[in-house]
Amino acid sequence: MAGRKDDEARVALPADCRMAAAPALHAALCSALARPACVLDGAAVERVDTSALQLLAAFRRDAVARGVAVRWHGASAALREAAGLLGLARALDLPATQPA
Amino acid sequence: MGASGLAQFQQVFIEESLEGLDTMESSLLALDGGGDAELVHGIFRAAHSIKGGAAIFGFPEMSSFTHEAESLLDELRDGRRAIDGATIELLLRVVDCLRGMFAQAQAGQPLIDAAADALRGELAAVMGRAAPAAATMEAKGGPGAWRIGFRPHRGMLASGNDPLRLLRELAALGELDVTAELDRLPALEALDPDECHLGWRLELRGDVKRAAIAAVFDWVEDECDLAIEPLPPAVPAQASVPAAAATPARTAREAGAESGSVRVSIDKIDGLINLVGELVITQSMLDTFREGANASRLAMLEQGLVQLARHTRELQESVMGIRMLPIASVFNRFPRMVRDIGQKLGKQVRLELAGEHTELDKTVLEKIGDPLVHLVRNAIDHGLETPERRRAAGKPEAGTLRLEASHRGGSIVVEVVDDGAGLNRGAIVAKAVERGLVASGEGMDDDAVAELIFRPGFSTAAVTTDLSGRGVGMDVVRRNVADLGGTVTVRSAPGRGSTFTIVLPLTLAIIDGLTAAVGDERYIVPLVSIVESVQLDDGAIKTMPGGGELFRFRGDYLPVVRLHEAFGCEGAVREIPRGLMIVVEGDGSRAGLFVDGLVGQQQAVVKSLEANYRRVQGVSGATILADGSVALIVDIPGLVRMQGRRRAA
Repeated sequence: MAGRKDDEARVALPADCRMAAAPALHAALCSALARPACVLDGAAVERVDTSALQLLAAFRRDAVARGVAVRWHGASAALREAAGLLGLARALDLPATQPA
Repeated sequence: MGASGLAQFQQVFIEESLEGLDTMESSLLALDGGGDAELVHGIFRAAHSIKGGAAIFGFPEMSSFTHEAESLLDELRDGRRAIDGATIELLLRVVDCLRGMFAQAQAGQPLIDAAADALRGELAAVMGRAAPAAATMEAKGGPGAWRIGFRPHRGMLASGNDPLRLLRELAALGELDVTAELDRLPALEALDPDECHLGWRLELRGDVKRAAIAAVFDWVEDECDLAIEPLPPAVPAQASVPAAAATPARTAREAGAESGSVRVSIDKIDGLINLVGELVITQSMLDTFREGANASRLAMLEQGLVQLARHTRELQESVMGIRMLPIASVFNRFPRMVRDIGQKLGKQVRLELAGEHTELDKTVLEKIGDPLVHLVRNAIDHGLETPERRRAAGKPEAGTLRLEASHRGGSIVVEVVDDGAGLNRGAIVAKAVERGLVASGEGMDDDAVAELIFRPGFSTAAVTTDLSGRGVGMDVVRRNVADLGGTVTVRSAPGRGSTFTIVLPLTLAIIDGLTAAVGDERYIVPLVSIVESVQLDDGAIKTMPGGGELFRFRGDYLPVVRLHEAFGCEGAVREIPRGLMIVVEGDGSRAGLFVDGLVGQQQAVVKSLEANYRRVQGVSGATILADGSVALIVDIPGLVRMQGRRRAA
């Protein structure tokens, strides 16, 4: 599994992950659904809104349904705070703490 | 606007409002003394700004409460109502209440309004009408928790209203429990990111009013389905509320004073920029010596170094200056306090303030408030006599209390002077004997007797009033001041009054100290704690049973603290005649620090050991010496206490 990096989609969330970035994020997530695995990188997120979190929630739900392995590679405090406020932390399966 | 942006402005609003409240308070007190109509305008303007700001920044309770006060002020302003003592008293309580609300807002707690509602009722009654219905109804039956159903319409995101912001505001009101409803969320491919397909079930706990919740959703009423219904109140969650409500006025003031920011005047910043400019010029001048120096340019190098030294010193002073704030911010709380205490005790007090513009380091300023409050309380409670007794003693009925701040040398001196009865020598000695502090007052001079009031556990008030008898005494005042690197002393003359003098360092960031050698290590002993240093013979030291050592100094036996033992230094001088005894004073008691010798006197820039390593007993910080090595700064009071415990053990 470890050697098959090519099959893994990698979606890095931008620092300003709000509505203006949503179309690009939407496209990236849609194409990631077609791959066997996906890594989400939320370490850089400074600002995020409901629009983006809603996309991520739908992505994760659909990914799980299709058997796409999703894992997080870092989630910024801003991202975790917003997900917590919206009650989406569990649905997004955010890592408990940010890796050092 | 991002939520963090709003929070930032909210902070500015709170700070400005607290200043506005200070203005209101001092103007009200001036009015009480027969001020003019312009004062009323000023008070009205301050209240009006708070009302408007509170509405914008999401404090509807505060806004509507201030509105009531504003109506009353409006009547005063138009001359429809005469300015009398009762009205001023009421408005002063409004100021206190608002301060409490700001403290809660600042702490992110829901605004607790029981007091506000009561006051609102009083305001309405004064103006001759019933209290606003909504306020009284909710005051009686306000439930402790709410269930909120929130389902935005699809177009809500596109209109710029983010549910995230709304939920964040709700979370600020109380304890928010969020459950997201994902059932209507379409498949990712079919999802339009501009539309909102989520809904939420929320439970909000805390003393929150329906109006406060409704205000959060004010702007999105037409864009969502909203249902707010009360949950049965959660009893345990409310238990802490009365305690929090007990001291709102105080905490607001402190929260305002101790916020982690400082406002700096443009002049100071411009001065800094100029200095940095000068430094850059000097640096480029010195830079030319990179290409090689010859003797002919030596004069220029010398000149450059002199400039560098001067600019560095000026820059240091200016940067320190940024932290310096006038003591007025502390003094300003006293007119009100003195008035209240005076009324309560039936004493007439005339308060004089002097030197309000004396600047102090911000950290010192924040911490000097409590000791000063204590001294002022004591002065009114114990120092000043009742009007009858003053008349009998041939003094004016109103006692005078004077607070004065000034620069003296490298220190700030704050004095609390009263013209009361002075310290009662007999009562102090009797109490000290009763408490076992001394065997008798025989042979003690007045200073030594006065010194007794700073001993822990000492209190001479015949009746412990709720003002002075709170179990904390002058020893706490002394310790607080000592923590700031300062000292507090008292002078008193029977029948003529007492003077408490607090001497504080200009800044906590730099101390004057003596560098002492102990083995291979260097320690800084703060100059303020040093009495003198002496060289002793072997015979001067008496060993106590149990191992402690004492030496005789001006008729007293003082304990010896061998620094090499206290800190475990290698290669230190052990024989008393070869070393040096530094007599230090800390926490009201003296001791001798035994070191190898003195290296010199220097200013030490204090680096926190706690921030960079961890707290070490007997050490208050560290500094970097000219050769780049680290020297620890000895915490004299801590060391003396440490020694005391060791001997007791």
